[in-house]
Amino acid sequence: MRLIDLSTPEGATLALLPELLLTAWALVVLLVIGWRHKTASDMRFVGVLSLGGYVLAGLATAWLAMEQARPDGLAIMVALDGFRFASNALLVGIGAIITVMSLRWLERQGILAPEYYVLLMLATVGMMLLAGAADMMTLFLGLEVMSISVYVLAGYDRTRRASAEAALKYFLIGAFASGFLLYGIALIYGATGQFNFTLIGAQLASTEPTLMAKLGMGLLLIGFAFKVAAVPFHAWAPDVYEGAPTPITSFMASGVKAAAFLALVRLLAEVFPAFVELWRPILAALAIATILIGNLVALAQTSLKRMLAYSAIAHAGYLLLPLWAHSDDGTAAVLIYLIGYSITTVAAFGVLASIERAGARTVQLTDLEGLYAVRPFASIALSVCMLSLLGFPGTFGFIGKWFLISSALHQGEVLLPIVAMIGSGISIGYYIPVVLSMTLKPTRTRSAHQTIRFPRPAKLAVALCVAAIIILGVWPKPTLDFATQEAVQLRRGATPIFAR
Amino acid sequence: MTSFLASVGYDRWILHVLLILPLLGMPLILLSPVRAARWIALVVALLEFGLGIGLWWAFDASNPGLQFVTDLPWMEGYGVGYRVGIDGISLLMVLLSVVMMPLVVWGSWRGIDHKQRGFYTLLLAMKVGMLGVFVSMDMFLFYVFWELLLIPMYFLIGIWGSANRLYAATKFIIYTFVGSLLMLVAILWMVFQVGKATGTYSFAYTHLLDNAAVLAPWGPWLFVAFALAFAVKVPLFPFHTWLPDAHTEAPTAGSVDLAVILLKMGTYGFLRFAIPFVPAFALSKTTGLVMSGLAVIGIVYAALVAMVQPDLKRLVAYSSVSHLGFVMLGIWGSTVESVQGAILVMVSHGLSTGALFFMIGMLYERRHTRMISDFGGLARVAPLMTLAFVITAFSSIGLPGLNGFVGEFLVLIGSFGRYPILVGVATTVVVFSAAYMLWATQRVFFNRFTNPRNEGIGDLNFREIAVLTPLIAAMFWIGLYPGPLLRRTEGAAKRYIELISPHLPEATLPGPITYGAPR
Repeated sequence: MRLIDLSTPEGATLALLPELLLTAWALVVLLVIGWRHKTASDMRFVGVLSLGGYVLAGLATAWLAMEQARPDGLAIMVALDGFRFASNALLVGIGAIITVMSLRWLERQGILAPEYYVLLMLATVGMMLLAGAADMMTLFLGLEVMSISVYVLAGYDRTRRASAEAALKYFLIGAFASGFLLYGIALIYGATGQFNFTLIGAQLASTEPTLMAKLGMGLLLIGFAFKVAAVPFHAWAPDVYEGAPTPITSFMASGVKAAAFLALVRLLAEVFPAFVELWRPILAALAIATILIGNLVALAQTSLKRMLAYSAIAHAGYLLLPLWAHSDDGTAAVLIYLIGYSITTVAAFGVLASIERAGARTVQLTDLEGLYAVRPFASIALSVCMLSLLGFPGTFGFIGKWFLISSALHQGEVLLPIVAMIGSGISIGYYIPVVLSMTLKPTRTRSAHQTIRFPRPAKLAVALCVAAIIILGVWPKPTLDFATQEAVQLRRGATPIFAR
Repeated sequence: MTSFLASVGYDRWILHVLLILPLLGMPLILLSPVRAARWIALVVALLEFGLGIGLWWAFDASNPGLQFVTDLPWMEGYGVGYRVGIDGISLLMVLLSVVMMPLVVWGSWRGIDHKQRGFYTLLLAMKVGMLGVFVSMDMFLFYVFWELLLIPMYFLIGIWGSANRLYAATKFIIYTFVGSLLMLVAILWMVFQVGKATGTYSFAYTHLLDNAAVLAPWGPWLFVAFALAFAVKVPLFPFHTWLPDAHTEAPTAGSVDLAVILLKMGTYGFLRFAIPFVPAFALSKTTGLVMSGLAVIGIVYAALVAMVQPDLKRLVAYSSVSHLGFVMLGIWGSTVESVQGAILVMVSHGLSTGALFFMIGMLYERRHTRMISDFGGLARVAPLMTLAFVITAFSSIGLPGLNGFVGEFLVLIGSFGRYPILVGVATTVVVFSAAYMLWATQRVFFNRFTNPRNEGIGDLNFREIAVLTPLIAAMFWIGLYPGPLLRRTEGAAKRYIELISPHLPEATLPGPITYGAPR
């Protein structure tokens, strides 16, 4: 164990090493772009170069985790615990995979502006700060760094109207969400006089809850509900997801959502445990609405990207269950589910991106018909992703579902798991048709299928993700151990539910 | 034989080998040339058969508990293990699976002419799932196998099925997937409650069963969740509508596997899980009446519907619903005889319906139609097939001396004490089943030879005879001498009755109705 005094500059630098390294690398890359920003090969060069930042951030996180770095005294500004390291690892991983997926895709779409990769790195830094914040200021800083980068990325395909529309919508709604969040922070500060999570938590636990604090919490929750696209704060998501460049959609559906959920876990566990009776019904209502509406509306979609957008909304609903559980295994379940969900989403969008053609309309379900005959590996990969999203045994999605439902059941709650299962039952109505039209329907557009070219880096990344889905689904024990051990470090004192 | 098997440590490796062999065969088929695919599948199937049949001797009939038990860690710390074992009930199901395996492969020899590698890979995958369901003694493992099985079946129907295959495949997977969703919640809830009471969180079947008393307060919910999953699979009366479509559209191998094994997973689930976990609710008067009532409705209704089917496969599919109703009735009859009868009906329905589907497949290969009206007078051109079909039809009707009779008879006498009226109603089906089966036989094989296109139908060839002979031999064997079979299920059935007897309500008919245990 290595104790780090976070009140000193050295300590803070050490604690923030992953974020700082990634930021520094982003700036270096930005300088390099000054020379190399004209051709497709420049684009690729910058993309590959930016991977170094993720490697550095990953190594720094691994070092902190290996050293078992813990705050010496209060965790000021940034948390130092297993949960943050696990979050960092997940977010850095997502950032790196999205970079790989974008490598040839951008050139093919005619987007030649290598700042894309810098923005992606900065967004990842924001996500890491958001998920690792131990202070309202860090939280807000992380949120904004992440959001502003993603606003730009969503509109990166400037010449497409849908992309511009997505950016504007996302920006307007995001600004509102930030406003709610900031107002919530202000009210909490007004009620407690503190910014630090631990101190606010102690204050709220020891004093009679004031209306101001309750309102503050409510506004914070609304802000996060916007970010994770929980019903009824989801209306922006489908348009933004459909309009944004596909790798960025994938980034939003996996990384941004994961970061917001990880931050919410920490917020609810450290700041608002005293208000558990208050926020549980809110989360339950959000979860039920999100699961049912997300799944039902997804049924009606014909555009694959839009269908995945609604499916992402539904999965946000599932993820509210372990948050509701407010327990160690709930925290573990969030991590496990996020790992499985992120891998799957990234892979699914990766396949989707390869099917897209520049300037063409979005991929419809009918465009996939008979894909298996021409591109068997792409369709097997997408099928595995669909089954994993469905929570089919043998995939990591099932393990996630198992933990998620257990975490709510272990609190004696039956209704939420049943709603989640009903949602899962509805979702077979839109996941299976994807498999059906790829493998069972006859090919109508053979020539179109033959033009599908998987960029080699994306192919590799998708293959890795699909292998991970299956391997982790069959042998999940190491991941489960990791998650249940890291999760326990977030909240001490609670007893793990699984006998060990 | 027994001592030889013991000397090679048969009981330690057999279940694992049965599960692993098809898994090894799958990549082998995918990597080898197309022409070798069916041969590899056949070799794997024959190996499975050759090795698996030893269970018949190695199984100790005097031991009513689980045998061949293995408990290996899978997800240590989360209560999940690779736990397998079999008792008398699973023994017969496993044997049925391994016996059917080479027959199914051989039966598809000619019928499947495209995408052979995929077909045989999926066939082996399905075998893994089926065997897995019957040998799993861990609820997690069971659920995994239970669900995994849907995928190969989905593709078997969807790729190699007949005209309306996409509709049937989708209906099949949606029905069965949605049906078993709540079962997952029920399993996790059980594990949690038992874990809370005992301090051990484990998915092990025996652990849950030993502490099933804890689950009594949630009996209704747990039972409904399990029953929904199993009732869809059986299929019990209002949940049966997927079956005729799936059966009709599936290729022969799919139909056979569906009828012989898949449906039995539902009734097996009731016997193994749904009832023993929450016996007080499952066997209460109301539940019993509802379940056996639905069973009897299914028996009679499906038989009546079968009568008017123009499609041979659909006819046999409805007859399956009817026969499986007998199994359900026997299960809720809750006597040693009725339960043994139910198990026997499971086996004999597998044999006779399997044979019927094979023969319908053979007819289809020759004429590319299954419509009864397209045939007529086939006895003239295909006497051997006619003979086989008539024997099988009689076995399906339940003619004494053939397998169908023994099981149904045991179910009826065993359940009479509890449900005299329902049994009375169910008995009428003997008339209906004779009607639909014999009428169909008459229209296909006898009557006047009207359709000249049937002229070219050849009789059974060597391969087809080889497929049908074992099935027909087994029909006679079980019909004439069911003793060895009953002896092997008796222990499990008795143990099951002992387990549930404290929760049984009084029988409707007063007085001792005891029949000697069938020997």
